[in-house]
Amino acid sequence: MRVLAWRAGLLALLLLGWEVGARQLNPLLYVPPSAVLPALGRILGLEAWPEFPEHLALTVREILLAYLLAVSTGLGLGFLLGLRARLGAVYEPILAALYAVPSVVWYPSLMLFFGLGPSSKVAFGFLLGFFPVVLAVLAGIRQVDRHLLTVAASMGARPRELFVKVVLPAMSATLISGLRAGLALTVVGVIVGEVLGAKAGLGYLINYAYGLLRTPEYVALVVITLALVMAIDGLAAAVEARSRRWSA
Amino acid sequence: MERLKIGGAQALSLAVLLAAWEGAVRAGLADPLFVPAPSAVAAALLGIGPEALRLFWETLAKTLLAYGLAIGLGVGCGLVIGSLRHLYDVVNPYLVAGYAIPKILLLPWIVLIFGIGVTPAVVYATLHGFFPIALLVIGGVRDVDRTPILVARSMGATTWQVYRKVILPAVLPSVLAGMRLGIIFCLLGVLLVEMFAGVRGMGHLLGGLANAFQAAELFAATALVSALSIGIVVGLEALNRRLGRWRG
Repeated sequence: MRVLAWRAGLLALLLLGWEVGARQLNPLLYVPPSAVLPALGRILGLEAWPEFPEHLALTVREILLAYLLAVSTGLGLGFLLGLRARLGAVYEPILAALYAVPSVVWYPSLMLFFGLGPSSKVAFGFLLGFFPVVLAVLAGIRQVDRHLLTVAASMGARPRELFVKVVLPAMSATLISGLRAGLALTVVGVIVGEVLGAKAGLGYLINYAYGLLRTPEYVALVVITLALVMAIDGLAAAVEARSRRWSA
Repeated sequence: MERLKIGGAQALSLAVLLAAWEGAVRAGLADPLFVPAPSAVAAALLGIGPEALRLFWETLAKTLLAYGLAIGLGVGCGLVIGSLRHLYDVVNPYLVAGYAIPKILLLPWIVLIFGIGVTPAVVYATLHGFFPIALLVIGGVRDVDRTPILVARSMGATTWQVYRKVILPAVLPSVLAGMRLGIIFCLLGVLLVEMFAGVRGMGHLLGGLANAFQAAELFAATALVSALSIGIVVGLEALNRRLGRWRG
């Protein structure tokens, strides 16, 4: 309880310091919180941009599509490489090395190839989300206790049963956290793509507001985007908690 | 022997991929305007290589500056926050949130406040690297075994001695893990700033090549940055292993 009070106090202190500091220095540049609320109202009341819901919906659609692609290819490739040990030994190091590359270097190539529209954002979100998923599948499979496999096989379990009853439950915790990390990175990828160059979407609006020096709207859009990110992550956390109960 | 075989299979896969790619472009299956053949990319590498390397060093210099700041701040804050329980309880949720939010949302603001050039890149990259390092160090401090601390204390060690002889050696693996992760985060941050609002540096070069539709040069530069980043990570891993041996 007291901890919560301290946390709230710290936040209030930060906001107060920001408000006072921004007014003293340059309200246009530092945007005091009191200027953000009206801007938030203007955006959500569709006064600033009447087509705001479409931008929001486009970003959500891009995230969903990119995540769907990342999960399906990530799981497919992960299980292929994980269950075929020889293939895994050859290709897993390549994947791990590519994961070490700062992802944003791929974005200009994707933009050149897919253009300024939504496809380049989907491609970049996919690329970012794909790696945690595939690497989590590989790590999860490695984690499965070999003894369990031997015991189940010696008791006559067929490969399919082995996979569903032994491998999947044993790796579920790692797999689920990988899926969640992939979702977070997909969201980042789509937003980064939109900010770096787009024709629509939340990131585009952010860049647009920034370009016109409409800083209160810019900060309000950042707040809205953060709310979207938190909502997606909260949903993922709920799903994760549920599936953990199932696997335990 | 096994390692040699794996390496051979990797080299062979790469060669097959490149040959298929080259063949596809020559056969007219892919438009060389968007997907230039590997031979064209290699030729472009010769042309753009020297300039790309020079710009990469510039990017790397900014990265190292930010990396130093991120390590100093991250390890310092991590040690302090990790060892004071009440401070940890209050501050940790904010650090986790700071790690989780897409930092790109703050980039327009940072550029607005710090202008273009070296400063915004260093500020943004430091921000990028700080959170993962701080969180890893906090985790490391909190996981330190209490017994040796108690023993050292009961034998009359001063607080300073406890830190230097017990806590720091125990935290070192987390610090090293943070350093390994931090370099990629910082490099990513600098490249992003250069792409978003750079006038020089590797990120600016990549973005410019994409806008100018110079696909072959873009692919060549991307491959060069990727290879160099992988080299940096592999180098750090080797350093880490050596430090691990020295620690015993």
